Amino acid sequence: MYGWIWRHLPGNAWVRALISLVLVLAVVYVLFQYIFPWAEPLLPFNDVTVDGQ
Amino acid sequence: MRVVVRTFSELCITVGAVIVLFVVYVLFWTGVKADSAMDRQIDVLQDQWAKRPVATATPAPDASADPSTDSSPPKPAAYQDGKPFAVMYIPRLGFTWNKPVLEDTKVGTLKKGLGHYSGTAQLGQKGNFSVAGHRRTYGDPFKDFPKLRRGDAVVLTDGTTWFTYLIDTGPYKTVPSDIGVIDPVPRKSGYDEPGRYLTLTTCEPEWGHSHRLIVWAHLDSTQPVEAGKPEALRR
Repeated sequence: MYGWIWRHLPGNAWVRALISLVLVLAVVYVLFQYIFPWAEPLLPFNDVTVDGQ
Repeated sequence: MRVVVRTFSELCITVGAVIVLFVVYVLFWTGVKADSAMDRQIDVLQDQWAKRPVATATPAPDASADPSTDSSPPKPAAYQDGKPFAVMYIPRLGFTWNKPVLEDTKVGTLKKGLGHYSGTAQLGQKGNFSVAGHRRTYGDPFKDFPKLRRGDAVVLTDGTTWFTYLIDTGPYKTVPSDIGVIDPVPRKSGYDEPGRYLTLTTCEPEWGHSHRLIVWAHLDSTQPVEAGKPEALRR
């Protein structure tokens, strides 16, 4: 999977490494900004009220 | 075959990395976000309070613009959902511990501060002013909740008045469906007549949601903000 991505990136090794880094950061950003905020309320830490709101 | 094994191991490593990132998010990043959100809420409040006319000295035109200064203790205007209206101080949780109190207890509201149960009494009014807060994650506002003891002060301000509540009943463990704890005269609290009460709720155990921890307090004193900080906040 990662080998396939690596082979399909343009440029020499340095350019590919740089693009990979940008891709990784983009994935982390999407996770922190969208995926994790959606998943976190499914965990029990949010239940602090007594009326179940 | 090699491709399959390799792809499978890469997927496993990826899932592991995502789980680690998620733990970082829950334990660390929610705290960072909540701290800045709470600071922003307090800034919003302080801006509002700074703009509010000083109605005590100038009665005629300003008093109509601000109904909250008419009576003593002042009757506040209706709180707006999801908006901050007060700041809470609990010296037992730390001398610098202060958190904004927002109206309603929705998930999104509790990310920005403590949540006032809509439908319970307003600050300082007759009835039970009830507030919920996170024990863990989102800045851990009520992390040290079990340290609260009888006699501890819970101080709130709405910008015009300081309200000092004193805790009567230490952390009381109950189940999540026990709505009676935020009744105007909370059951099992030891109070038997109507009064000006305060209830704080959070989750128990620390990382779980099977129970709730409750403390009850009564309004001990009020003083206008012009009179300076109340006794409990001085050092």
